[in-house]
Parts: sequence; C-alpha cells; structure tokens
Amino acid sequence: MNLNPLAIALQTALLLLLAPLVSGLIRNWKAKLQNRRGPRIWQPYSDLLKFLRKDMVIPEHASWVFGFAPYVVFLSALLAGLMIPMLTAQAPLSLFGGVLAVVGLLALGRFFLALGGLDAGSAFGGMGSSREMTISALAEPAMMLAIFTVAIGVGSTDLSRMVQAGQGPVWKLFNPTHAMAFVALFLVLLAETGRIPVDNPATHLELTMIHEAMLLEYSGRYLALMEWGASLKQLVLMTLLANVFLPVGIAPDTSPAALGVSALALAAKLLVLAAEVVLVETTNAKLRLFRVPDLLGVAFILATLALLSTFFFG
Amino acid sequence: MSFTHVSPELQPIVEEMARRFSAGIHSVYTPHLNEVYVHARLEVIPGLCAHLYRAANARLVSLFADDARQTDGAFHLYYVLAVDAAHGFVILRAPIAPATPQFTSLVNAIPAANWQEREVQDWFGLKLVGHPNPRRCALHDDWPEVYPLRKDFNLTTELPPFQGERHKFRAVEGEGVFQVPVGPVHAGIIEPGHFLFSVAGEPVLYLQLRMFYVHKGTEKLFESLPLPHGVRLAESISGDSSFAHATAFCHAVERAVCVQAPVRARVLRSVCLELERLYNHIADIGAICTDVAFVTANMHAMRLKERILRANEHLTGNRLLRGMACLGGVRFDWDAGQQQALANLVADLKPEFASLVQLIENSSSTLDRLETTGILRPEVARDLGVVGIAGRASGFDHDLRRDFPHAAYDRVKVNVPVYHLGDVKHRLQVRVDEVRESLSLIEQFLARLPDGPIRVDIGEVPPDRVALGYVEGWRGEIFHWVRTAPGNRLARCKVKDPSLQNWPALSEAILGNIVPDFPVINKSFNLSYSGTDR
Repeated sequence: MNLNPLAIALQTALLLLLAPLVSGLIRNWKAKLQNRRGPRIWQPYSDLLKFLRKDMVIPEHASWVFGFAPYVVFLSALLAGLMIPMLTAQAPLSLFGGVLAVVGLLALGRFFLALGGLDAGSAFGGMGSSREMTISALAEPAMMLAIFTVAIGVGSTDLSRMVQAGQGPVWKLFNPTHAMAFVALFLVLLAETGRIPVDNPATHLELTMIHEAMLLEYSGRYLALMEWGASLKQLVLMTLLANVFLPVGIAPDTSPAALGVSALALAAKLLVLAAEVVLVETTNAKLRLFRVPDLLGVAFILATLALLSTFFFG
Repeated sequence: MSFTHVSPELQPIVEEMARRFSAGIHSVYTPHLNEVYVHARLEVIPGLCAHLYRAANARLVSLFADDARQTDGAFHLYYVLAVDAAHGFVILRAPIAPATPQFTSLVNAIPAANWQEREVQDWFGLKLVGHPNPRRCALHDDWPEVYPLRKDFNLTTELPPFQGERHKFRAVEGEGVFQVPVGPVHAGIIEPGHFLFSVAGEPVLYLQLRMFYVHKGTEKLFESLPLPHGVRLAESISGDSSFAHATAFCHAVERAVCVQAPVRARVLRSVCLELERLYNHIADIGAICTDVAFVTANMHAMRLKERILRANEHLTGNRLLRGMACLGGVRFDWDAGQQQALANLVADLKPEFASLVQLIENSSSTLDRLETTGILRPEVARDLGVVGIAGRASGFDHDLRRDFPHAAYDRVKVNVPVYHLGDVKHRLQVRVDEVRESLSLIEQFLARLPDGPIRVDIGEVPPDRVALGYVEGWRGEIFHWVRTAPGNRLARCKVKDPSLQNWPALSEAILGNIVPDFPVINKSFNLSYSGTDR
C-alpha cells in the first residue's frame, strides 16, 4: 500500500464539490414535497461563497478555541471522507486506518464543534452543545455496532476490504443482518446530520436548535467552514451507508470505464438515500427532545441484534 | 333604591349590592341596559369585588384609571366586572384624591388584576398599597419617573432616558441551575419581549417575562385625535386583530351616543370578524405544526390563509380588513358577486380545512409533541383570568359572541368549544372547532343578509358620556371604554386586549416543560406584543 497523491487530490475535490450539492438537493426536494418552489440545488454553493466573502464578527469573550474549532470540524470531516471508498475500493487514506479512524475523526470534529458552541459564552450555544453531546453519546455506539456487523462478516475493520468483500451477487447483500444494521445506521445518519425527527435544520427557533444553536455565533469564513464541514460529514455518512452496505458498481481498478460506472452507481445510491431523508423529514414532526434517546435506543438495539445475528446467519 | 334602566337580569344583583354596601355607594348610574356604573368609596372596592365574585360569579375584565381632576377634582379608578350569567357589566368607580394618590391592591384576592393594577401605577402615578410585586410593568425601564396618562403630561414631551438599572430579574439558585435569556429581539418578524428562563438542564423551573418594550402611548393618542381618526388608530393596536379592535372602538363610541349601526352593517361586521378569526386560526394551526417541524401541514395552512386574505381584499379592499370599519356601520357594501365569491370561499374551505385537520391528526409524531405539552390547569387559568382560546382550552366557558351578543351575533346561535385539559393540543382543538363554527356562521349570515343602509351618521358626540364597547376577537375578548369630551373628541379611551390578560399564564404553562417545547407552547397562546404594550 502506498499513498497516491492523484487519488487524494481527486477524492478531496469530489468530496468538497459534491457535499454542498447533496445538501442543496435535499433542501430542494423537501420544498417540492411541501408544494414550495424551494431554493435552487446550487444554493449552498452560493451561500458558501457569500460567507467566505463576508467579514467575521468574533464574540468579545471568545478564546482561541472559537477560531480553531471551524478548521478542526472541516478538516476532520474531510479526512474522514478520504478514508472511505467512494469511487474506488481503495480509499486514498485507508493506509491510516479503517472504520474506527473514521468514527474517531467524526468524534473529534463533534468535540470541537461543541467546544466552539460553548466558547462564545451564549446560552443558546451552551444548550446546543449539551444536546449535541447527549445525542452523539447515544448515536456513536449504534454507529460502531452497525459497522462492526459488516466488519465481522469480513473479518476486518478496513473499509476497503469490507467493500471488496461485498462484491458479488447483489441478492447476498439483502440478508436480515445487513437490513437491521442498515436501518440502525440510517437512524444514526438522521441524528448525526441534524435531520428531522432529531433536529430541524430549517428552524429559526433558537430554543429548539441543536446543531444550528452551536453555529449561532459564527459568521463569515468560520461559518463557511462549519457549514461545509457539516455537509461533508453528511456526505461521508451517506457514502459510508451506500458503499459499505451496497458496494455495487465500485471500481475495482482505475480504468476510466470502471470509474464512470462507479460514479454513476454512487450518484444513484446517494440520490436514493437523499430521497429517503427527504421523505422522513417531510412526513414526520420533530421528536420531543427527551424522546430522541428512544429513537437512538432503537438504532442501538437494531445494531446489537444485527451484530448478534451475524453469528447465526453469518 | 330601585333601578329602572337596568336589565332585569342585572337588577337583583345591583339591588343586593346597593343594600349590603349602602354606606359605601354614592350613586348608581345606568347609561345602558347591560352596563351599570356603581360610584363607590375607594375603601369598599375590595368588598364589592369580593361580593360580586362570590354572589354573582362575576369576573374582573378590566381595571383602569381616568384623570378627572379637571372636572371632578379626583382620579377615577374603574373596575369592570363581567357578570356573564346576567349578560351585563357592573363597573365600579372610585375616586382617588390627588392629595393621597394611592389605592389598595386586590391582587391577593384577584390575581388577574396584577398587570393592570401596575399599569395604573405606572401610567397615573397612583401608588399601589399591598401589592406583592409592585415593580414597574407598563413602561419600559428607560422611561424616567413620569406619569404619561395624566392630563398634565404633554403628548409631545421628549424625555431623557433613565440611566441605571431598574428592573432586576429575580435570581434563581441551585446546583446546575442557570438562566437563559431570550430576546427582547427575536429571530423572525415579531415584536420585542424578554423571556428569562431559569432551567436545570432542559426542564424549566421558572420563567420571567418582561413586556412593554414598545409602549406607543396609544391610549393617550386617542385623546388627541378626532373621533373618525380614532378608528384608524384602533386598527393599528394589534395588526392581526385590526378589525376586531376597530369594531370594539366603534361599538364603544356608538353606545356613548346611543346610536346603533344598521342591521346590515352589523351583519357585515360579524362576517368580517369571522373572516379575521378564520385567517388567524388557520395560520396558527399551521404555525403550531411548524414549531414541531411538521412543515407540510403549515404549507397547506398558508395556502388556505392566503385564499382568505385574497377574499378579504376582494370584499374590503384590504387583506387584513383595514379600512372597513367606521363609526355608525361599515364603509363598503358587498354586491351579489362579492357575496357569491365569499360563499364559494366558504364552500371550498370546508373540505380543504377538513383535509388539513386530517393531515395533522394522522401525524402521530405531531400529536405526540402537542399532547400534554404546556398544560394550563383550569384553576390556574381561572385565577389569572385567562380568556379567549387559551381560556376555553382550560375550562373557561365564555364567549362574548354568545354571552354578550354584539354586532349581529343575536341573529345566530354560537357554539362555544370548551375543553379542560389545557394543553397545546386542546388550544389547537379549540381553534379547529372555532374555524368550523366560523365557516358555519358566515354561511348563516350570508343566507339571511338583510337589506338596508350600511352606515348611519352618528353626529356630534356629546361630552361626558361613558360607554364600554366589546368584541370577541379571534384571540379573546376585546374591550374599549370611552369617556367623551367636548368638541367631538374623547377624554379617555381605555383599550383592553386579551393578550394583556393571558401573558402571565405562559409562565405557568411552561413550568415542568422542557426548553425546546417553549416555542410551540408560546405559539399555542399566540399573544400580541403590540396589543399588550399599546
């Protein structure tokens, strides 16, 4: 194994460019389902550009953490993205770790996100951080167990090996073990990306916010990094869900034809996932905050059952 | 004493009161059948109120002062009590000598008087005695010590802001207890108000409200305006209740000159009041869903609301029904085409609204958020005098349209939904029931729309008449009390918006709930800042 600078550069570009599009697509589809015209799917790019051009207002009492956190949030999501196979089975940075490293990097980003929310000293940020940590403490174990379910089948936590092992007849992928783990990870995706029924990304009510509450004090370049980081994290989790559970079409080599097929397959899988997110968001109200643990408890139990069932069905 | 001009239902009540408190009552004045003024000594007011509460099941609906030093050499304090069972108002009036500007607080017996008593203290400089919390209430903290509703305070006075700290919030202490300040400037297009939550984690221990950031001196302004302009001012008291406020004002002035609007005008007024109720209720139903992130329902509600607003414009020239009300009737008549358009709207809305309600009731995740959230217990609601939608969700079986038929509500039977659980779900349910009732009322009014003029000339208003105008607005009961002055003007106009009465209930309803449920609880009350601050 070695590092391929070209692969790193290409996947970085793909992640950075695709992430806002996925967010925009979800927003646009959601609007369509609600009989609204909605923003263009390119709107998140314009937003990022706008934030990057704007001046920043830094809270008076903020420490270095406030300015440091956006970079950590952004880079940790990007690095995690480079560790998962997107188009080719071999992730550019798989050398540095498997699924544990991905989960760890996401946790690092979340930790600094919460610190950034606390650092400004506003009550809303503090509430957001506290809620975020509560939810992630429940979401993280469910996420690990769900991925371990697949890892046990393969005998490795290396994502590339997991993806390669999944190649073969498609019907083999639809066993009960995978289905339960998939649902568990999908619930985690909703929680981790601040979607209804856990959080409402479109609200203006500070008292109800989780993710947005931590960003309230951010502006300009920092806000751009935070927003970009959030959409990167969403793309990372969606790709993980798509490629670990349904590694169909992933390029075994780097021939243009294989890469083309792989790109189309990834796009199709992401579209389906985005549509699922949109459906859930449109048809559900947000859970009462103290009911969120119930939802994540379901995810955890499903993941546990999936893990146990590997020993029966595996 | 015998009282010939009182309605037969009020007569025994007034007679018994006069008998028991003969030493304390100077005189009884009855300008209207259902409106009795009892002029009494200040000392007997608590006794009179207690008697009326106990013997006649009366309730205090308004409390205000009037600077009558020029004419009577004293301030007058008014207590308006509604006797719903007798369909009448007993209004107690007590003089306060300028040499001893103070009065005794009733708040320990009648908690509903709290903010209104402090309002009298702030605006007239009449000191409250025995009030447990006599802090400033009805003026913002940067006002210096002035009494703006006294007659010797010039409307155009410019004041230097008060420097220093005046309103100290109570500290709430305990391990892990911290305070979350929200406002006064909020996200979204709403007016200012400060909410200070004391929380232990997510559960709310205590909520302190601070209103009156935008006191506009509306009541003072009425005294300087020619009467017809007063209607336009009344329209702007609370933007979402502009027709109800304007109609309450017109009602008061018409009663003062003993002129009744023609019957066609009264029917048109009633229809407009129902249209106002419709668009606000439907918007609120949607907004409650938005606050629990069920946006789909809100989008449908917005669509229905927009149809009503367009119908409003077609009928009155204004989406919010502004410019329709006028003294002595209404300004615009509706031709056959407009009536047909309204009938079509009602016919369309019925199934559309039913499907909106169906959508909400089929969403178990939405219902889960609304049920048992923000419970206002009936006994608390009664103590605080909570009125309107919020009251009716907590066992308050009153509606001025039924109990004090105004406009043309004597021509129809109004069904009043009453529930006792007092949670967000039931405040939503009251709205749903009232929307259905409003649609039915509009149909009934349209089916028997009488012919005739839509306006009478009320002429010059004679001085020194008093009258209470009342309207059941969509949010709750609205009162305008006027005293006329020479020159077709008003000496005093007291405006009572239901929001003023209901805000303190929010502090009770939030207790034991968690912080992220506050927005939906607040929305289920949907109180007006402007109507409160005036």
